[in-house]
Amino acid sequence: MTRRTHAPHRVATTLLTLVVPLVLLGAATLLAASWADELPDPVAVHWGAEGPDGFGSLASAILPAVVAGVVIAVGAWALAFFAGHASSTRRIAAGSSVGMAGFLAVIVLGPLEAQRGLADPTTAPGIATPLAVAIVAGLALGTLAAALTPADADQPAASAVDPSAPRLALAATERAVWRRDVFSRATLTVGVAVVLVVLGLSVVTRMWALGLVAAVLAALLLSMVALDATVDERGLVARGILGWPTVRVPLDEVVAARVTSVHPLKEFGGWGYRVGRGGRTGIVLRTGEALEVERTGGRVVVVTVDDAATGAALLNTLADRARAV
Amino acid sequence: MLIRIDPTSAEPLFEQIGAQVRALVSRGELAVGTRLPSARDLAASLDVNLHTVLRAYQQLRDDGVIELRRGRGAVVVSAPDHTRLHAAIAAAAAAARDLDIPPATAVALLKEALS
Repeated sequence: MTRRTHAPHRVATTLLTLVVPLVLLGAATLLAASWADELPDPVAVHWGAEGPDGFGSLASAILPAVVAGVVIAVGAWALAFFAGHASSTRRIAAGSSVGMAGFLAVIVLGPLEAQRGLADPTTAPGIATPLAVAIVAGLALGTLAAALTPADADQPAASAVDPSAPRLALAATERAVWRRDVFSRATLTVGVAVVLVVLGLSVVTRMWALGLVAAVLAALLLSMVALDATVDERGLVARGILGWPTVRVPLDEVVAARVTSVHPLKEFGGWGYRVGRGGRTGIVLRTGEALEVERTGGRVVVVTVDDAATGAALLNTLADRARAV
Repeated sequence: MLIRIDPTSAEPLFEQIGAQVRALVSRGELAVGTRLPSARDLAASLDVNLHTVLRAYQQLRDDGVIELRRGRGAVVVSAPDHTRLHAAIAAAAAAARDLDIPPATAVALLKEALS
């Protein structure tokens, strides 16, 4: 690992990933508290298939979600503040933090708003609508926060590619491309099963909001079931089948490319477009062989792909050549 | 898959691309059902004309190596076992080296034998 400087854009990170979600959660808490006189006591806090089945104080309807939101925001902020060298890390942190805060704020406010003026909490309406609104609001706010995250500036390397990294014999006049498709059967199998279960639940419980959850899950699943990785004169490009997520490393930002072995759950907390331990970002679809690219600015990118040795060697070789020009 | 071409070589680029794909298929590095990159992607990666790649793909299709499907692109359809041929070629190359026969002569002899 090269010497690491501070992650850039710390003010923007603090505003987006910490201040905005805390303001959202704080405003939701104050608004809910201001309704205290109009709400039944106790209020409905939990719903089953037959309607409300759990009741509690106003505080118990607000605090668990708000505390969860604060914990998520602080965690995401710490990750982006201390390990957010790559814009993708900061983007995922800001998106998750603001998205979850928005989702939780609506989840708290929606059912309480519906109980204003009620004397008996057992007559509280269902939560399908607030749930759907919360999902849409969370996704929209998360996407907005991710879009507002400042991008990385171009950071061309000042020094040569690590001489100890693998190389490929390539004549000066030769052009070469390495390309590999990755498909995760396990992700597809598990994903389809989960989507079908949620769809089934949606039909059985008649909660159409769950259909929305299934649609979101299906899109997420599609984005992480397959990818293709290419190394050529333009550098490394790894792209999911929907065109998203995309990881790009131009040749002039390559410090060293290597083969590594990845354990998604242990090192990245799951599958897909992830931020892992130490701020590594990447598309991890399965356990095993992966291409790891150390790039300028203390950033490390990982893509799970077979034959990563050839890809890494070609990337280093082409990067050498680009530096020599 | 690794595809390399040399624009300074006398061999036309479309033939170089075709030969690379044939070699990958014949060595078993491209299994039946593998999708080749789209002609547009490959042309951009190798910085060659789109028609050069299309010509290479068409020839591969004519020779039954790949199938060009609308919407699915180029898919490898036949990956015959060429182990015997590889062994024979390795033996011939070794013999040519032993006898100090220049590569051009060896290739000429092979071409003659094939025609």
